[in-house]
Amino acid sequence: MSRRPWLSLKLRTLFDRRRLGRELADELAAHVEMETEAGVARGLSPREARRRALASFGGVERIREETRDQWSFRWLDDLVLDLRHAARSFAHSPLFTLVAVATLALGIGAATSIFSVLDAVLWTPPPFSEPERLAMVWETDRATGTVREPASVPDFLDLEARSRRFDELAAFQGRQVTLTAPEGQPRRLAALAVTQDFLGMAGVAPRLGRGFEPADDRPGAAPVAWLGEHLWRTGYGGEAGIVGRRVEFDGVPHTVAGVIPAEADFGFRQILGRAAYQRSFGEGGSERVAVWLPLAPDPEASPRQTHPIFVLGRLAPGANARQAQEEVDSIMAELEREYPENLHRGAFVEPLADVVLEPVRPALWLLLGVVALVLLIAWVNVASLLLARSAARSQEVAVRTALGAGTRRLARQFLVEGLLLASLAGVLGIGVAALALPPLLTLVPQELAPRLGEVGLDGGVLLASLAVVASVGLAFGAVPWLEARRGGPFGALSGGSARGATAGPAAARLRGALVVAELALAVTLVVGAGLLVRSFLHVTAVDLGFDTAQVLKAEVQLPASRYPRDFATWPDWPEIQGFHEAVLTRVRALPGVERAALAGAHPLAAGFTNSFVIEGREGEAAGQPEIAIRQVSPGYFRTVGVAVAAGRPFTEADTKDSVPVAAINLAAARRFFPEDEPLGQRIGIWGVFREIVAVVGDERFHGPEAETAPAVYLPQRQAPAWNLSLLARTDEDPAQLAASVRAAVHEVDPALAVFGLETLDSAFARTVAKPRLLATLVGLFAAVALLLALVGIHGVLAYTVAQRRREMGIRMALGAARGDVVGLVFRDGLRFTLLGLALGLLCALALSRSVDSLLFEVRPTDPTTLAVVAGSVLTTALLASLLPALQATRVDPARTLQGE
Amino acid sequence: MAGTRDILQGTLDLLILKALSLGPMYGWGIAQRLHRLSGEELTVNQGSLYPSLHRLEQRGWIEAEWGTSESQRRVKVYALTGRGAKALETEEGGWRQFIRAVERLLSAEPVEGAS
Repeated sequence: MSRRPWLSLKLRTLFDRRRLGRELADELAAHVEMETEAGVARGLSPREARRRALASFGGVERIREETRDQWSFRWLDDLVLDLRHAARSFAHSPLFTLVAVATLALGIGAATSIFSVLDAVLWTPPPFSEPERLAMVWETDRATGTVREPASVPDFLDLEARSRRFDELAAFQGRQVTLTAPEGQPRRLAALAVTQDFLGMAGVAPRLGRGFEPADDRPGAAPVAWLGEHLWRTGYGGEAGIVGRRVEFDGVPHTVAGVIPAEADFGFRQILGRAAYQRSFGEGGSERVAVWLPLAPDPEASPRQTHPIFVLGRLAPGANARQAQEEVDSIMAELEREYPENLHRGAFVEPLADVVLEPVRPALWLLLGVVALVLLIAWVNVASLLLARSAARSQEVAVRTALGAGTRRLARQFLVEGLLLASLAGVLGIGVAALALPPLLTLVPQELAPRLGEVGLDGGVLLASLAVVASVGLAFGAVPWLEARRGGPFGALSGGSARGATAGPAAARLRGALVVAELALAVTLVVGAGLLVRSFLHVTAVDLGFDTAQVLKAEVQLPASRYPRDFATWPDWPEIQGFHEAVLTRVRALPGVERAALAGAHPLAAGFTNSFVIEGREGEAAGQPEIAIRQVSPGYFRTVGVAVAAGRPFTEADTKDSVPVAAINLAAARRFFPEDEPLGQRIGIWGVFREIVAVVGDERFHGPEAETAPAVYLPQRQAPAWNLSLLARTDEDPAQLAASVRAAVHEVDPALAVFGLETLDSAFARTVAKPRLLATLVGLFAAVALLLALVGIHGVLAYTVAQRRREMGIRMALGAARGDVVGLVFRDGLRFTLLGLALGLLCALALSRSVDSLLFEVRPTDPTTLAVVAGSVLTTALLASLLPALQATRVDPARTLQGE
Repeated sequence: MAGTRDILQGTLDLLILKALSLGPMYGWGIAQRLHRLSGEELTVNQGSLYPSLHRLEQRGWIEAEWGTSESQRRVKVYALTGRGAKALETEEGGWRQFIRAVERLLSAEPVEGAS
């Protein structure tokens, strides 16, 4: 048999004690037998020999136990001992333990949850192959200065043909389709129409069935569709038999050609959201792309002056975005020369990552910064607590050192304590994060996080948190050890703690510095929170130009199959007009409805734009930007509460047979009729000149933060829309109306999907979700941070009072009034507060510049906010100093002096 | 057995190392060897060998393998390792120093007029 090396012995000691025990029993038994044999050989009887053998051996059981005791890892035993000691000492000071663990847990929990979000959003790459080579090719309009406009179909085809820097180009378009299921109500789904190159370019293969083929992408091809994975699983049970089945979208049977995996739906909502003219993509339905359709770009149906599609390209190997931009610029310049419709049209190449992440980055970095600050504060707080504790334990340390504990052993003890504390806090913190993450995510608006569904506590994040925990533990372990070392064993042993042990003044200064640092950090956070809160308040205070309370909206889209729109007979579309009448009559008849109206886009939807011309100023038309078109029914303005500044609103008399009329908003009046009177002038839209009969107030349909856009309103009877928003004003709770409104619509057309059914209030709330979230989160963290800092101040001052009890006793015995003693403590508190405040304000001023992009109508150096923060921090900090100050007055001089 | 004395556990480790430096041996045999080598002056409390042996094994100063004795019995045979040999040297030196110091102390005579 071979020699058993030492390592294998240690392993066996750890894992195979049973066998070692058996071997030991054999070994001991063999010894006794051999001793017995020797006795027999000397002439004893076997029984006598055995008795003597056992006697000279000593107690076998005891020997066995002693031997087993030798099987150990010394360091493991020591560790267990240290842990038990640490646990005991923590149990003896429960308040300290509670505060320390809670503080750390808070910081770690916050850090972990934010790390998780950042991990999924910023650091995980999208699922496309080589996503860094993908870029959006937006069109731009030099006249309006917009840079993220959709493109026209002929432009796309020309770019495809002429570009070398782009390997491939594909186009896509966000749409909404109605799925008429065999049972249940018709559903509104988000769809993405793409050209046949699209999936291949992105590097996405269908989960089931076949991919797009050129034949699908031709105008007039047989209708095919691909289901998004989520819809396939939830709506069709994830069956493979879906391929080849017929599903009805918008009344047209489509053959299902395959299933597209869920990962292919990357950030389209965000991309379309960044476009200058947003369509309501998936607003009423699910956020995911439920249906993929062939785009079938048709230059005949979609001529160069309309811009309905978005273009995505893959850069050729060796080409970068800058080169692509130059090439695209020159191509667009060529097209501008060749085609008058392309006047002022340019292009903007933007890498896909920037498109999706750019609006989100500032907010996310802010969150990271905030979390770092909170973690830092928690860290400092606990360090301060441990310092205080170590000073109180300096006697214990001194005794142990005198009894022979080496400094290394002591250091290990403190290290274990620190790690134990940190581990407890870490476990708690991660638990808190796991619990807090789901509700936190519901607060986060979709645009802020492209792939919110993928956020979870993953391994990388946990590892990072554990690293934080470990560093905290190590640092905390080091602090009391250093403190104890400086004190030295004899210093603490000889005097009482009141005689200013050598560790005393240094520790007090360090703690004071820590508290000032804490306060400074907290002030920074509070200033940040203040700015964000003010910003949010400003956003919500903006006058939208219409009422959001009391107004319910519902959206429908009339399918071409049942509501034909023949542009030859426009605006005489009986089915569509008939629908308008029927629905409005029914809804107006509902109890509780004051007024109702229809619009092509509801007041919080951007709608679309078109070119126009002012009669008598045709020459300017070329240089004008497009204007927003709002198609509304009579009574719209009163229904949503838009003021009519001049002229008359539309009436029932404005029909397809009467004089064509239009209304413009104040922004349009200012922009296009700065000098003269718009009323009575004529404006040409879609080839028809209309008399301007009213000037109405601005509706902020791009949201409260954007500028008001010029718009022209057309009466529905003269310019009917088939994508409609129904708006109903009620004096009761609008949400109650929802069911009856839906029923009313279904009375007119049961196969029509009603979506986006909500009050304008809740639609608006979604618009301001991002500033609300930031203000809430940062406010929360700031409040916690301030609380921690105040606790820190209180702790330091209380400690000082305890330390200087003797000094105060002497002072009072020598005739100092209680007020003087209070003043002493108070002065200390004031000093910390002022220092911390000053430092914090400076920090805040330095850092606030970086959050400028997140603020609305608030300067980063806003003096009101700074003043309010300074005032409140001063007040609360002084209050926190009050308690220990008052406690100082309770010192009984006689007793204190006696205690010496 | 007259003239024998028990010895402190602490020095037992040193003695075991020395015994094994003369060749590998199993537990009972080590006890016999110690008795013999000390000129029959020392009798080890036999059971107390084993905690020492296992402790030395855990430290890596000796290593063990199972073999058979002359009487065909299965025994665990210990042997000195390289590290053990070095440790033996160090311990031996320290022990001899200690002995010299004690010797000097014990042979101190009272001196007239000194305290």
